[in-house]
Amino acid sequence: MSSAPLIAGVPARGAEPADRAPTDWRTQPMQRRIRRRYAAERRFRIAGLVAVVLSGAFLAFLLATMLSSGLRGFQRTEVTLSIDFAEISLPVRPAQLAGPGADLALAGAGLQNAVSGAADTAFGEGGADYIAPSAWLAVRDAIKADPSILRTRVAIPVPASTGIDLAARGEGKPADEAVVARLEGTRLISTGFAADFFTGADATDPGAVGIWGALKGSLMTLAVTLALAFPVGVLSAVYLEEYAPRNRWTDGIEVSINNLAAVPSIIFGLLGLAVFLGTFGLPRSAPIVGGMTLALMIMPVIVIASRNAIRAVPPSIRDAALGIGASRIQVVFHHVLPIALPGILTGTIIGMARALGETAPLLMIGMRAFIAAPPGGFTDPATVLPVQIFLWSDEVGRGFVEKTSAAILVLLAVLLAMNALAIILRNRYETHR
Amino acid sequence: MTGPLLLFVVAGLGLIGWLTARTRALAQSAAAATRPAALPAQNAAFVALWTVVPALLFALVWMAVSPALVTASALADPAALSLPTSPYERETILNEARALAAGSAYGAFFDQSTRLAPAFAEAGERYRWIGTALALLLAFAGGAWAYSRVSPTLRARDKVERGVMLLLLAASLIAILTTLGIVLSLVVESARFFRLVPPVDFLFGTNWSPQIISARDPGATLGAVPLFWGTFFIGAVIAMIVAIPFGLMSAIYLTQYASPGFRRWMKPALEMLAGVPTVVYGYFAALTVGPAIRQIAVALGMPYASSESALSAGLVMGVMIIPFVSSMADDSIAAVPTAMRDGSLAMGATTNETIRRVLLPAALPGVVAGVLLAVSRAIGETMIVVMAASGAATITLNPLESATTVTKQIVDLLTGEAEFDSPKTLAAFALGLTLFAITLLLNIVALSVVRRYREAYE
Repeated sequence: MSSAPLIAGVPARGAEPADRAPTDWRTQPMQRRIRRRYAAERRFRIAGLVAVVLSGAFLAFLLATMLSSGLRGFQRTEVTLSIDFAEISLPVRPAQLAGPGADLALAGAGLQNAVSGAADTAFGEGGADYIAPSAWLAVRDAIKADPSILRTRVAIPVPASTGIDLAARGEGKPADEAVVARLEGTRLISTGFAADFFTGADATDPGAVGIWGALKGSLMTLAVTLALAFPVGVLSAVYLEEYAPRNRWTDGIEVSINNLAAVPSIIFGLLGLAVFLGTFGLPRSAPIVGGMTLALMIMPVIVIASRNAIRAVPPSIRDAALGIGASRIQVVFHHVLPIALPGILTGTIIGMARALGETAPLLMIGMRAFIAAPPGGFTDPATVLPVQIFLWSDEVGRGFVEKTSAAILVLLAVLLAMNALAIILRNRYETHR
Repeated sequence: MTGPLLLFVVAGLGLIGWLTARTRALAQSAAAATRPAALPAQNAAFVALWTVVPALLFALVWMAVSPALVTASALADPAALSLPTSPYERETILNEARALAAGSAYGAFFDQSTRLAPAFAEAGERYRWIGTALALLLAFAGGAWAYSRVSPTLRARDKVERGVMLLLLAASLIAILTTLGIVLSLVVESARFFRLVPPVDFLFGTNWSPQIISARDPGATLGAVPLFWGTFFIGAVIAMIVAIPFGLMSAIYLTQYASPGFRRWMKPALEMLAGVPTVVYGYFAALTVGPAIRQIAVALGMPYASSESALSAGLVMGVMIIPFVSSMADDSIAAVPTAMRDGSLAMGATTNETIRRVLLPAALPGVVAGVLLAVSRAIGETMIVVMAASGAATITLNPLESATTVTKQIVDLLTGEAEFDSPKTLAAFALGLTLFAITLLLNIVALSVVRRYREAYE
């Protein structure tokens, strides 16, 4: 088969070396060809760079969006409300204010109306709209802290309403902006760090919400997850890596673990709903159920990471221990596990970080209720950080946008801290060997 | 005695057993003429295990059976005679009485539950004491028996290690139990669903509107084809159009072109994309991407464009998937023998030609498997679609229109007001079973692709 040369100057395929004329690279067609190939190379390279940079840019854009609206969520505007309690004279006796019934007594005495009335007097007509619906709670706490103020005229800083809050940061309606300008003239308004956000729980008013309830729920859920998934995960990794005979059962276990690692998280939620709530009758929305569900979900992650860490332990260590008379259990628990521990812990932290960010399975087991107090025990109704973010993102109130972003920042900060811990562990581990 | 307290007491007994057995073994080995068969610590562990394990096992079993015993004994109370016979009401009253007795509720809707509550409280208290006493007795008996066996000839190490081995085996069986639990719970609930709705209606019906379910023909509005299409369209088409080129090109650039410094910073940055919780992506898609796409659509002349379009959910999901594709591609490109790459470069091919003609074909099985796993991940992804996709089930090819997915419908079906037996809640389990089957299939295919073609270049 001797066809015409494919490219000018290049001999036909199959030609003997002796027949071949050396390629003349300086001819026009060859130069054009080389230029074309180099151009393709450049294009390909730029396409790769663009892919990396765009992906990075997306991450940066996402973080920047969250930061720009989230940082404002950590602030709140307060207006100083002066109340003349001597004139109002609330119908409460000092004895009532000492005991645990103080909240009820003050609410029953019409404190809420008194506070809105005071706002109308202090700020003029419509003044009650300047303060948050939850403002009277701040007044209540002030009274509880010092009952003697009930006989005098006092100035108490209370949270501003959402409209005023937004206007104080320059993005409210013109009418609210005017109010803010007026209040600023009398130095009655101030914007500062919202410490309440880190101590409170969910509320209906965006000015009064806090993240601590959800954070505590998350911590309790993760505690249950860790207590269950870590021992079970590590022990099964030890069994599979060190002792398991090669047979059908072992294969079954391995296939199960690998498949469980790829099962969508929502399926674990269905399992929790059907088994933990349906069959065992455990309470809905409780950290213990959430923790058990997440433990099943991240156990495969811990098993796989632990197996890799155990496999990385040099066989010479096992041989040496066996050689001086240790039993197979002693070899593993005295020698292999301590060496593999940093790797196991790294995997565990990564698994826990995944559990912390997980939302869908917890929605399935009912962790989406409105919960206005931090959970007191493992069976109390609770919510967790990602679910709280989901719930706030559904709220229509404008103030919730910032609070949602602020909650996301808290979640990301916790995740970042966990991952940093994992990286530090891994680096230490690598320098040791 | 409550659970945690019992745990502490049993653990304390175990510690006491450990200490006394160790003392005894030390004394014996001092007196014995020959070397004892086990170290004192091993004897001690033997006794401690015998103290703790039987008691805890019993406590677990007791926790499972005692609620039934309590209910039975409370139903023997005269107050239970007035209970209605309809099972639903009966169960409600019993639950209320239980909550009252446990102190987790303060008022009751039904009078009967207030009257039954003392019976529940009394029976609960009695069985709690019986259980505690039996558990402690078992701990004592186990510990005492093991203690009596401590002697220089006892091979305590072998016995303890057999126990530890059983524990290890039990731990690894939990994985199988979980898989079984998933399959069983999905299959059982789905079977109940398919008794109400014919499988053909569910799998091939094209009308999905679970808000209206007629009692006579529930299958008419429970056809899941629009959901399957939406899931495929968002997860396997739109998301992959974003994720495959970006993931693949990122992996190629970072492994073949990038300077080490660039790689050291950008690789973790890309991995961070995988670490961001999906609820954050969902919020971002709903708040920023969705409205932006709507504005573009309106500018393109679609005045009724939805801000919950398939495109916004798919785009954001694709970005989330980029690191999966990229790390899979990275691994399989790195696994291609260097000789092939060097040979190609030595023949005068440019890097680009080497990658496209040599490395990618050799790495293809790994890349394909990575893409399949990414698809399985995308169709199982929940929060992004829950927050950014719409609930309207339509079959459409237009990415600017709304589409819904299986996972979103599962969440919607199960988070409304729930009676556990309605076709609506059971449908969620049938959808879950379908999702589980499809993701399992994708994973198996991905693994077999890798296994089948992996050795080709080794």
